[in-house]
Parts: sequence; structure tokens; C-alpha cells
Amino acid sequence: MSDSSNLLKTTVNDYLENLPESVHNKLYQSSITCLAIFRLLPSLAKFYVMSLLFNEHSVSYIDLTRWIRPDNMTHLVSSSTKSSSSSAVTNFPGAIGKNKMYQNECLKRLKQLNLIKDVRKQWTNPNTGQLTNVVVLQLNPMFRKNFRNALTGSQMSNDLNNDIEMTDVEEVSEEFLDRYSLMKWENILHFMVGSEVPELPSIGVLSLLRHSGLMDIGEENEFIATPKRFKGDNMDLKSMKITQDGFQFLLQDINAQIWQLLLQYLRMSEKLMMNPVDVLNFIFMLGSLELGKQYPVTLLSDTQVIMLEDLVDYGLIYYPEKNRYFYPTRMATTLTSEKTTFKTASMSMNQVLEGGPEVKDHGSIVLETNFKLYCYTTSPLQIAILNLFVHLRTRFANMVTGMITRESVREALRNGITADQIIKYLETHAHSQMKKLAEEKLLKKLEFDSNATETQQIGSQVKLEVIPPTVVDQIKLWQLEMDRLQTFAGFLFKDFANAQEFEQLANYADEVGVMLWRDDDKRKFFVTEEGIGQLNDYANRLKRHRA
Amino acid sequence: MPRAIKGALVKCDPSIRALILKIDAESHDIVIEELDDTHLVVDQNRIPFVKAELARILAQNSYNPLDEDEA
Repeated sequence: MSDSSNLLKTTVNDYLENLPESVHNKLYQSSITCLAIFRLLPSLAKFYVMSLLFNEHSVSYIDLTRWIRPDNMTHLVSSSTKSSSSSAVTNFPGAIGKNKMYQNECLKRLKQLNLIKDVRKQWTNPNTGQLTNVVVLQLNPMFRKNFRNALTGSQMSNDLNNDIEMTDVEEVSEEFLDRYSLMKWENILHFMVGSEVPELPSIGVLSLLRHSGLMDIGEENEFIATPKRFKGDNMDLKSMKITQDGFQFLLQDINAQIWQLLLQYLRMSEKLMMNPVDVLNFIFMLGSLELGKQYPVTLLSDTQVIMLEDLVDYGLIYYPEKNRYFYPTRMATTLTSEKTTFKTASMSMNQVLEGGPEVKDHGSIVLETNFKLYCYTTSPLQIAILNLFVHLRTRFANMVTGMITRESVREALRNGITADQIIKYLETHAHSQMKKLAEEKLLKKLEFDSNATETQQIGSQVKLEVIPPTVVDQIKLWQLEMDRLQTFAGFLFKDFANAQEFEQLANYADEVGVMLWRDDDKRKFFVTEEGIGQLNDYANRLKRHRA
Repeated sequence: MPRAIKGALVKCDPSIRALILKIDAESHDIVIEELDDTHLVVDQNRIPFVKAELARILAQNSYNPLDEDEA
């Protein structure tokens, strides 16, 4: 799952990078935001920021490149002499190695975030007295000031981290917050997989799910609901169905899911004329709050209060008493934390999800070669997800049984879920016993192979098969069966008088890229619908040419 | 003088091709031209009909373990 979190981080960065400079400068007015943005940077960029931060003078570009181990020796020689230094990079445009690329990427990102700026300075060589142009880098002054504050803690007064006097507010335990946020979040996920939910997610959540393309209104529903449209879209939204993206979304870990929705929220808030600076500041601030503490609402701006109420719907915030105090939940406080810490946090979330800390390994699916499936779970969410592609039969107190059938898989495929997604889900949730069996099998196979054919390369073809290969193949075959015939509209050309005539036209169709099928022996070919016009023109031109 | 005929190129495996030809044998108004083992030219308007018929025939051929239970 670390891949998906990486992916998500880059999209957060992408979003930030595409903001205009004025918005950046406003963002950097908050120390907390500076800290959060710093956390999202790649490590080399972090290092650069740190080296610039407490340095009152600007640093030349060359000094920064010195931190990088050069990829080739010529590069090292040329960049070590300072007078020729500014041209060192341009001297070897083709010789840019891996390290260099990483550095360039970090610098590019810092520049796009308007964290550093290139400034050309005249520099006098002390020995020769010659004037040379040197590129120096400057840290954004606003960022420098506020990030220093964030680290040394001199001016945090307007942020929320100062101690709040405990008044008559009720104590809220961390467990309660965990349970509360999970309940809220699971409710949304439940709705997505189409199971019965005690209370529908709010309209805000529903429209966000639709806008992000995770769910869509089914075609037939739209057809029925059109006359009622004037009553508002509520009815339509409640009958939404999960899309392929939505299924992918379910497979991600919880932190990645939240970020995906928050980014969508940002895009939507721009349309609603909410100030993106306020929104972003608030999201970043959440990441630096402490779990289990309450924070007064009075510290927030008007936009942020509106947001606060929206975030309650996602379980990021517990907001028991209107207009007084709110509590961030674990989902909120782990937003910008480093991967390692958030992994453990998400793991603790998983434990709660699986119904108790005693469940360490949350694999629970047993799948037999006869397509029968047993899943040890009490989570209605997991049952609902399984129900998307398994024909479920019996439900017991701690397990469900079912069967993967052609129809159940076809139903899932029709909903846009791919065979690979199903297989991946089964693999990641396989019971530990299944994994153990698969490993034993693999070991035996390797042993057998090494005994039988010592000369052959072993291990290259043998791989761990957690899910019975028959089932994997069959699911893939079912997918292939869905599109066993491909159709293309177009025109068939035949009855050519001679080979030359055929070749002229066919080669032309090949060249312009409209050819779908050709057979030189039978002198027939098939072109796309779009290509017929071009081909007719060409044929007429040929005719005139000949005449 | 070459001729151009409007139609839909169908790309499929030989078994499906055989089934399409079987469907065509009843009415003879579907297949325009047989190109090779994996390609046919079919009347464009009959494509939805062909797809529905194929789905029906293929479903007959597949084993559904749930039917057995109910019997």
C-alpha cells in the first residue's frame, strides 16, 4: 500500500505546485502550513531548505550542487573550480546522471512552490578582479520567517498549539475518537459498496463522491429520475453506483483515501468561491493538532468554520457542541505525517476495523480451487465489498461463505471492476494459512526443480501463488469472455482489377493509418469509417492522373 | 473497378466465428463477407442482435454450480 500513499503525496504536491505565487505567499504566512509543506518535500529538498533556512546570506547554486555526489569524474573537475562554475552544468548537457536528475527535480519542485528563487548576482573574483555572473538561491522570505517560527516556536500565538485551559468540557478519550471517526468513515465506504446504511451520508459527501468520479448515477436511474429533477438531486445521488475508480479507491489505505477526497474537496471549494488559502491552511493545521485535545472554534476563520462542519461528515473532526470546541480525530492528525508514522496509525485503524487488537493479521479469506470462498470477518464493510464479486450464500456469526461464479464475476465486470482488481483484493486479504500453504508449496517446487534440472535457470518461472491458479485464470478468462468479439465500423474494399491498383490504394490506407485489415492474396482490405473520405479523394486523384 | 461495401469488421477467435456463422445460417442477413479465420464483415445494424445471441449461446454452455444446488 506504500505505493498508493506515495502516489497520493505527489498529487498533493502537484496541486500545491499549480497554485499561483500570490496564493503561495499567503499560505506561507502560517507557520503550521510552512511545517506541513516542508514535511511533504522530498528529502534532498528538505535538506536544501534546512541549509538555507538559518543562513542569512544567499547561497550560490554551485554550493548546493556540491552536496550531490557527481555521477562522473569530468563533472567533478569542472564544478570544483569556482570561476568556471556557473557554466559547469551547461558544459555537459548530455552527461546528466541519476543524482543530477534527482537534484534537478528537487530544485524544480522548490521553485514551483516559490520556496526558492534564482537571483543572478555579479561576483568579483578576488584574485583576478573579474566580474562573473553567479546564480544564487534565495529562500522565500515569508517562508523563512514563518518556518523559523514553527521550528523555534517564537510566535505560535495565532496557531492552535498553545495550551487551552480545561474548562467544563467533557473528557473525550482517544478510543472514543477512533471509534467515532471509523464509524463515520465506514458509513461512507458502506454507502459506496451499496450496502444498507443506517444513515445516509450528507449531501455534501454524496456530491463530492460524484464529482470525484468514484460513484456515478446509473443510466437507468437517471432515466427514471428525470421528471423528478426539480425536487433537487438528492434522490439521484442516493441511488448512485460505484465506478471502477471507486473500487480502486476502496482498495487503498485509509490515509490515501482521505487525501483523495480532500483534494477533491479543494477543487470543489474553489468553485464555491471559498478561499483556497483558508482551506489549505486548515487542512495543514489539522495535521499538527494533537489527538484527544479539544480546540476552540473561535480561532478559526469563517470559511474554516464552514469547512469544519463539512469535515465532521468524513469523521476527521468530532464536533459535539456547536460553536464551542472541536476535537480532531486520528484521521486528521496523521494527514501530513511521515510515511512510517502514518503506517502505524493506519495499522491501528485497521485493528479497530477488524474488531479488536488481538487480530494482528487481518487476512481472512480462504479460497478453494473449487471456487468456494470462506471469509472470517464480522465487518459488514468487507462483506459488502465481497458481495460485489462473490455470490454469498451463508452468513455465520464470525464468517461468511460464498462462491465465485461466472455470473457474480460478470456482474462485477459490468460494473467496471477489472479482473486484476478482484485478484489483487483476494491476494491482499488472503488468510495467513493460505499464504503459509502457498509458501510451503513454493519451497517444495523450488527444491524439486533444483533436484530435477540443475542446469536450468530456476526460480524465474516459479512464483508465489496465494490464490489457486485455476481461479485466477478463470477470472481472467471470464473477463476475456466479456469482449470476445471486437467490432469496428468501416468499409470493405474488394474486386480490384489488378495487383497494382490494389497496392496503390492499400498502401495509401496504411500510410494514413486507417487500415484495419488487409489480405494481399484476396485483394481485399478494410478501412475505418473516418478513412473512407480520404481514400475516395485519393482514388479520384489517381483516376484523373491516369485519364 | 474496386467496390467499397459498408459494414462492421468483427475480430474474434475461430470458435466465436463459427457461432456467428451458425447464427447467420438461420436468416442469412448478418454476415456480408468471410475474410479469414478471425475476421468477418457483418451488417452493422445486426451487431447488437449478434452480441445478444452469442451471450445466450455461451451462457448455455457454461456450468453454473448454483443450479445444481437448487435441484
